[in-house]
Amino acid sequence: MVAVQVIVGGLLLGAIYALFSSGLTLIWGMMNFINFAHGEFVMLGMYVALLVVVYIGGGPAIFGIAAAVALAVLGIAIYFSLIRHVIRGPMLAQILSTFGLALLLRYTAFWIFSANFVSLPANALSGTVSLAGVYLPVAQLVAGIVAIVLTIGLHLLLTRTAVGSKLLAVAEDRTAAMLMGIRPDRMQALAWGLSAGAAGIAGALMAIAYPWSPSVGETFVLIAFVVVALGGFGSVLGSLYAGLITGLIQAVSAFWLGAIYKDIVVYGLFVALLWLRPQGLMGKA
Amino acid sequence: MKSSFPPYLRIVLLAAALLAFPLVFTGAFYRDIGVTFLLAAISASAWNIVGGYAGQVSVGHSMFFGVGAYAPLLLYTLFGWPPIAGIPLGIAIAIALAIVIGMPTFRLTGHYFSMATIAVAELIRIFVGTWDFVGAAIGLQGPARARGWWDLTFRSELPYYYIFLAVLGIVLATTAFIERRRFGFYLRAVKASERAARSLGVSVRRTKLQALALSAAFTSVAGSLYAAKTGFIDPDSGFGILVSVQMLIVAALGGAGMLFGPLLGAAILIPLQTATNTWFGGGGSGLTYILYGGIIVLIARFEPGGLLELWHRIRPRWSRRAHAA
Amino acid sequence: MLLEAKNVSKAFGSFLAVSGADLTVDEGEIIGLIGPNGAGKSTFFNCLAGDTLPTTGRVVFDGKDVTRASPEAHARAGIGRTFQVPATFEDMTVLENVMVGAFLRHPHRNDARDHARRIVELTGLRPDQSGRSLGTPGRKRLGIAQVLATEPRLLLLDESLAGLTPTEVQEAIALVRRVHQTGVTIVIVEHIMDVIMTLTKRVLVFNQGHVIASGTPEQVVRQDAVIEAYLGRAHRRPPPGSPPQAGAS
Repeated sequence: MVAVQVIVGGLLLGAIYALFSSGLTLIWGMMNFINFAHGEFVMLGMYVALLVVVYIGGGPAIFGIAAAVALAVLGIAIYFSLIRHVIRGPMLAQILSTFGLALLLRYTAFWIFSANFVSLPANALSGTVSLAGVYLPVAQLVAGIVAIVLTIGLHLLLTRTAVGSKLLAVAEDRTAAMLMGIRPDRMQALAWGLSAGAAGIAGALMAIAYPWSPSVGETFVLIAFVVVALGGFGSVLGSLYAGLITGLIQAVSAFWLGAIYKDIVVYGLFVALLWLRPQGLMGKA
Repeated sequence: MKSSFPPYLRIVLLAAALLAFPLVFTGAFYRDIGVTFLLAAISASAWNIVGGYAGQVSVGHSMFFGVGAYAPLLLYTLFGWPPIAGIPLGIAIAIALAIVIGMPTFRLTGHYFSMATIAVAELIRIFVGTWDFVGAAIGLQGPARARGWWDLTFRSELPYYYIFLAVLGIVLATTAFIERRRFGFYLRAVKASERAARSLGVSVRRTKLQALALSAAFTSVAGSLYAAKTGFIDPDSGFGILVSVQMLIVAALGGAGMLFGPLLGAAILIPLQTATNTWFGGGGSGLTYILYGGIIVLIARFEPGGLLELWHRIRPRWSRRAHAA
Repeated sequence: MLLEAKNVSKAFGSFLAVSGADLTVDEGEIIGLIGPNGAGKSTFFNCLAGDTLPTTGRVVFDGKDVTRASPEAHARAGIGRTFQVPATFEDMTVLENVMVGAFLRHPHRNDARDHARRIVELTGLRPDQSGRSLGTPGRKRLGIAQVLATEPRLLLLDESLAGLTPTEVQEAIALVRRVHQTGVTIVIVEHIMDVIMTLTKRVLVFNQGHVIASGTPEQVVRQDAVIEAYLGRAHRRPPPGSPPQAGAS
């Protein structure tokens, strides 16, 4: 029974990994670009949730949407002020831009919120439920399920809608898309909005169920790397599976090896992947 | 500075200034800044070989630094050997690490390399923090009192200053040597366009791997010097991400891919860092990194070539003379 | 026979860019590959240069199979190539750009520099000019100089004259002739029909992935299939002896 609990818990956390990683993979697929600040987007989503609860009030739906919108706006602003200027520049500028941004956001958060761990005050989702003998916090269950639904939603948005096909057209061939009357700049800004928005709402969901501090972003971005590599660079559906697998591996290794080994196992997996299948486990070459 | 100075004279003047610094500024405070400056310049110059010249941006160079820092103190802890004996061991492990990371990622675009470096550095940091053999979270200590000069444990800052200066000289001389030879041309070609470089017969992957191995070896030496100077090492000061950040920002601010770029970057940042830490007390280190983040973003956005390139651009006459020589 | 490509095909997904192309090149020849845009000539060219791995078929250079060899191995074997969009190293001077190529056979800096200087002279560029400041004609010239510095036996020129003014084209043709006279065998992909007419003794015409004609330029331009596929129905054959003009497409 404990084993089942560990596995379900891992999958629910993995669902949130899947959601924010799908944002990172979207940017990679669109622009061949790695956002080192993506973990900080998740972290900011958590604090937006906290601020909304404390200063405005409202349930998970309110602060979840608030986090998504706030981060989407931030993502678009960052695209226009920074990313579009470095994307055609040297590799150094590309890496430095989001790497510097990550530091800036992380340490500004330390400055404002201090290094202490915080968590959301008790809310409608506090408490536990028992499903067939497995005890689960309601918050984890809801957060995990919502995350899966949203990740699938993002996948459907990309594959089944007009906006999605425009996004993919830009990813496929920028020039051809321009000839078709699509404005790549707008589409890339939209991708940044979606990506950061996904990170923001994933942060809000994470905040419902887990405590955090400003340093979580660094862990999250590395987890997102693992998920993106495992799921195939650029594939949202791949990152859904990979996120669940990563959460599961973490939970299982934390349970059997000890909590400190969970990240070692996951990062080790990333290095192994680079050696064995650099294009990603489920990715196309 | 007058533009009529020939380059070698500028180098002689620079060397003289660096040699004279601790004799002019004799206070422990200034000498400590000098030593910190030299260490930052050494590690950023080492980073510069692969990150600047070859254009492969490592964001996890702390792994090489940490390996270099741990090796001497580990040999001292285990066998009582002088820390200096650990320097070759650090170099060997750093090169092995470089190969492990470079072999798979150098077949792919530069983003993969950057991702792999930060992930491996973090992996090692966490692992070392759990490994009792290397002191786990507490880390390792060096000799408390020197048994001889080979312990590299001095009361005064002065010996450290001149040892570090000599190592900096070696790193810069090696870089300058490379710059003018085939390897240096190949590095710049690989950075500019891998496809074009390959069409001219450059083995791109091997070139990048050699650059990373050399860079890793020098970075490891920087780590060993740091450990010798401070006398102890723990996972964060050896492998922490901020160690990588400092190399990156020092090189990028001064001018990545330029011989004296890291030197300039260190000359600006180290006093700045000391100032913020002094003015804002313990909380100042957080502010330092907000500042670092901001500077890195600004460099990326406006001046990826760093301050040296900016200088060369706004002083074209000066620049042309330097190139013609 | 210096180069032999046999039954070379390249598919991108379900799209067959090149289908069963054959080519033999003898030492000392200049051969043209022509055809309309998207006809497969550039893909075929990249298969010869080692930039693209053909789906089927093989490429043999000087008796050695180079089908699967890397681009750098091609350069070492003696196959040099230029790019449609010249890949100039912006931060280097013209001489340094050429030295990168020269280092392949001259590992020592002074030898490489001397060799590069001779090549730069041949191409008529200024050695001290920075790569960044070169215009299109200069970059195309520099591209040829870089690859010449690797001392190729076979030179693959990818639209090295596209985008040049008629005067610049004439200068470039003279350069290609000079290169040819030094004993380099040349395969040239070109859009400009007149260039092919003046430079080559033998051409291959591509259309929709297939080689639809081969022979002397004079022979192929008389074939109806070629006229239709490449030049278009409306094209009127220039009367013999008319001055060459740029821009047949």
